[in-house]
Amino acid sequence: MELRISSTRKVVHYAVLIILAILFLLPLVFIFFTAVKSNADLASKPIYAFPAKIHWENFVKAWDQGKMSMYMKNTLFICLVKVPLGILIEALAAFALTRLKFRWSIPMFSFFLIGMMIPMQATLVPLNMLLNAIHLKGTYPGIFLIYLGFGIPFGIMILRGFFRTIPKELDEAALIDGCSDMGKFLRIILPLSMPAIATLIIFDFMATWNEFLLAQIFISDQSMRTITLGLLAFRGDWSTDYTLMSAAVLISVLPVMIVYLLFQKYFVNGLAGSVKG
Amino acid sequence: MFTKVKPWLYLLPALIIYLTVICFPSLYSLYLSFFEWNGVAPDRKFVGLDNYVYLFTKDTVFPTALSNNLQWMLGSLVLMMGLGLALALMLNKRLKGRTWFRGIFYFPYVLSGIVVAMVWTWMYNPTQGFFNKVLELVGLESWTQAWLAEPKFALYAVFLAALWQGVGQPLVLFIAGLSSIPDDPYEAAFIDGASKFQSFYYITLPLLRETFVIVVATTMIGAMKVYDIVYAMTGGGPAESTQVLSSLMYYQTFRYANIGIGSAISWVLVLIVMIVLIPYVYYTTKRSHV
Repeated sequence: MELRISSTRKVVHYAVLIILAILFLLPLVFIFFTAVKSNADLASKPIYAFPAKIHWENFVKAWDQGKMSMYMKNTLFICLVKVPLGILIEALAAFALTRLKFRWSIPMFSFFLIGMMIPMQATLVPLNMLLNAIHLKGTYPGIFLIYLGFGIPFGIMILRGFFRTIPKELDEAALIDGCSDMGKFLRIILPLSMPAIATLIIFDFMATWNEFLLAQIFISDQSMRTITLGLLAFRGDWSTDYTLMSAAVLISVLPVMIVYLLFQKYFVNGLAGSVKG
Repeated sequence: MFTKVKPWLYLLPALIIYLTVICFPSLYSLYLSFFEWNGVAPDRKFVGLDNYVYLFTKDTVFPTALSNNLQWMLGSLVLMMGLGLALALMLNKRLKGRTWFRGIFYFPYVLSGIVVAMVWTWMYNPTQGFFNKVLELVGLESWTQAWLAEPKFALYAVFLAALWQGVGQPLVLFIAGLSSIPDDPYEAAFIDGASKFQSFYYITLPLLRETFVIVVATTMIGAMKVYDIVYAMTGGGPAESTQVLSSLMYYQTFRYANIGIGSAISWVLVLIVMIVLIPYVYYTTKRSHV
């Protein structure tokens, strides 16, 4: 897009970007510094000072005594059930909306989009009553149901957008080869949609891993706490062990960071794809 | 006959869950917003629109919360979107290390609001925190503050953390939008002697229109729904100065058991989000027909 950039402009350009990048990284650097210090070190020296000695044992303490291992396991369990199941359900719906002869396809799609307008807050009390009534309050099936529900509008939007770009000629070829609709879904549409599905897996994993409000309302059992609830438990009412808290924060961030670094391409493509709709 | 039913079968699981989790509960909370109820008593008292009237005329915190959401929205539209666009323009050039920069500016977006809140609460810590320590270091002790405990600053302090977290989203959307603009109009403009500003104003901005539509919509809705970060950094305090609609709804409903009032707050939220989203949904579905 740029035709010519003079070299001084280029230097200024880089300088601005580098300064901003450092500012963006600062909070993480300081969390790391805090996480590897001893409490005495933290109290006696300013936060920006390099740690006198690296105390990796803070991570072990956060993992064991801080129960991070349990919070991670709980959250991972929810992710492993919710994400694939949600995508399957959303893909089936998106398939009906794009590949089957369906008069209601556009009204139904708009109806699903309305869900994006509804803030979770507007559903919490009735959902709580519902779960009580059907005895699923505080159980994993109840939690899956609710998490699945809030993923549906976005999932359908992304998958429908992608399914539409798959050429219709393939459907005709499948028909000639005697493929049923389910066969078409499983053998043609799903495999061809792997880029969109990968994007959705990553977004959904991230959203589920980071979920807070639903967990706060619907998970009361301490042994079922997810990461976000567990992290808040590191903050005491009167005093907080900041070294332990920082170690816990870093542990909780690690899986998301790994997923992010491995699949950065999909994040960007996915967001860009949602623009094109 | 069967072909008519078939699409519904594929749609059924999603539809049932969607109706159960989102549609019926949200309508039911609209119904509840017309009652006075503590959530456990067997009888609810029908009060019509009184809960809404109370919020807008008598409640002392609701106006603060609403104004905080609107300030948050304005701040997001100006600062978050502005910074996102500026960074996208800087990264759009064929720049070395572009992926790295994009990765750095985007990564806070993958963190949870709770993580961001905990990191920044620690940075704002009055005695050991980063901000005050750095101010002391450069000889500005008089500027040190209990940032999150001072009603004048608390909302802005929380917003700064949210800005750090959120700027990646408009950034990535703008980068995608910019990369879809071809080179030709710029070349033509260059040959015609257009200034940089002119090409930006007359070529880039109009061609980014669709991106702006989606960024403005998502930014405004994000600003109305903001919850985790406020709840975890200030809990709406000090003196209710950082309360937003979502957090107020949480406290009214789940702490004070004012189900009617809480439901009314959540429906004020729904209505505001609808005002933003209806034109947006209309625009996108209309576009996808053609």
